[in-house]
Amino acid sequence: MQSTEVISVNLWQMLISLLNLLILFLILKKFMYKPVKKTLAERQKLIDERFENAQKAQSDADSAKSEYESKLANADSEAADIIKAARAKAERKSEKIVSSAKSKADDILRQAQTDAELEKKKAEADIKNEITEVSSLLTEKLLGREINAADHRDFINSFIEKIGEEND
Amino acid sequence: MELAIGIILGCCALGAGMAMIAGIGPGIGEGNAVASACEAIGRQPESQGNVTTTMLMGCAIAETTGLYALVIAILLIFLAPGRFVNILVETMNNIK
Amino acid sequence: MKSETKSRSKAFKAVDFLLLACAVIPYIFGIALYVLIKPPSSGIEITGAKILFTIDMPLQSLPITESQVNSWIVIVTIFFLCLYLTHGISAAQPTARQHLAEWIVEKTENLVKNNMGEFFDGFAPFVAAIMGLSAFSSLLTLVGLFPPTSDLNVVGGWAVLVFILITHYKMKCGLLHYIKSFGDPVPLLAPLNVISEIATPVSMAFRHYGNVLSGSVISVLVAVGLQGLSKIVLGKLPGFIGEFPLLQIGLPAVLSVYFDIFSGCLQAFIFAMLTMLYISTGFPSEDYRAKLMKKEKN
Repeated sequence: MQSTEVISVNLWQMLISLLNLLILFLILKKFMYKPVKKTLAERQKLIDERFENAQKAQSDADSAKSEYESKLANADSEAADIIKAARAKAERKSEKIVSSAKSKADDILRQAQTDAELEKKKAEADIKNEITEVSSLLTEKLLGREINAADHRDFINSFIEKIGEEND
Repeated sequence: MELAIGIILGCCALGAGMAMIAGIGPGIGEGNAVASACEAIGRQPESQGNVTTTMLMGCAIAETTGLYALVIAILLIFLAPGRFVNILVETMNNIK
Repeated sequence: MKSETKSRSKAFKAVDFLLLACAVIPYIFGIALYVLIKPPSSGIEITGAKILFTIDMPLQSLPITESQVNSWIVIVTIFFLCLYLTHGISAAQPTARQHLAEWIVEKTENLVKNNMGEFFDGFAPFVAAIMGLSAFSSLLTLVGLFPPTSDLNVVGGWAVLVFILITHYKMKCGLLHYIKSFGDPVPLLAPLNVISEIATPVSMAFRHYGNVLSGSVISVLVAVGLQGLSKIVLGKLPGFIGEFPLLQIGLPAVLSVYFDIFSGCLQAFIFAMLTMLYISTGFPSEDYRAKLMKKEKN
């Protein structure tokens, strides 16, 4: 079996190896890079889609959350309104009650005062009468004669009034 | 005739051996390159990958001269003696 | 993931197995061929590829050698490996092999993007092809076959292709621009520029070839030397032990790890890197961009 020299130059062999490299290049391009790149692109698309979906879900959740939050805030303010209204109502009522109670108390007080005054006046009149009677009796007894009650009444009354004025 | 062939063979072997003196050059050069690379890695250990790749590239290129010498030596050992002996025989025949 | 693999049909698994078998069968074929054509005498022998048959061609006869056959073996293997890696590829549920395929694709594309910049988007498969062909060819020594990369013609052909690409991209701005670029600093240096232009593919080819060949030469020398040494040291022992080259165990394996695996893969990487660098640095990107802008304006 013959063999070539360690160093030999053969143009056709060079051409063959050149074509070998070209063929391997085409094989790699067609059977390796094309499918792999296609899959990578598909995967990228898939990831993009999933990401988009996730973003959409996120935005949906965000909007729902904000809606609930606004609703919650509304409910809070409503409750506050209700409480305020109730408080105002209660205050009004209590004021009314208090004022009515006050006015009743005033009435009662006034009544009592008028009653007391009337009593007082009555008592004064009674005392006056008694005093006149007693004084007339006393004078009757002292003078021994009958004094015309009617005559003296004016005098005594003036006298008593004088005493009342001095007392006042 | 035998003497001439002997001289040719001996000189070819001698030439091949002398050609391989060129191996000194790449040896020194690659030693320098590796030393510098070691220094660089010691200074910046995080760049080890880049430095190693570049060093191997540089070493391979620096080796080229040594490989030229090797090719010459291989030519002198395997190819040249046959050629030279053929030439010698042809010239002797022509003279005869 | 597990349920996914379990639920796969038997036909799918059969196709898988068939693809893997098709990727392995060429190696068996190559080894059989090697055993058939191997000359009976063995010893210190450093030669090129063995010639199977010769075809008469104009200019120069074409010998079909081991290096061509082994290149085709490598190409068939890579082809079926590609099919295996992308078999049952899906966007939703990636399998382990699909991860490997994606890793390869992304790594090479990143490499091309980082080293070549814009205008070179389609170069990832080419770079991957160079790396794969070179690495697999160099690794053929592991199964005992002749590595095609230690044949100058094979790497020479690749280098010529790279040279064609370099020239093609340099001519993107027109032929005149290309010719002008030779007299770049001073027109006086034009001959030197031409020489350096031609030296590019030559140096690439010789670098790759020399590395792989030197590895195999040193391996052969070490193996033969150890054989002789063990004959001298252990030859006087009686019987089987004397004949057995005991010292050959060990050191050649370590050398093989360096020269075959490390050096082979490194040279593949370097060849690809140099291809990218030469093409992208030779390309007059700024002038080309200006030309594109002008075209858009018109």
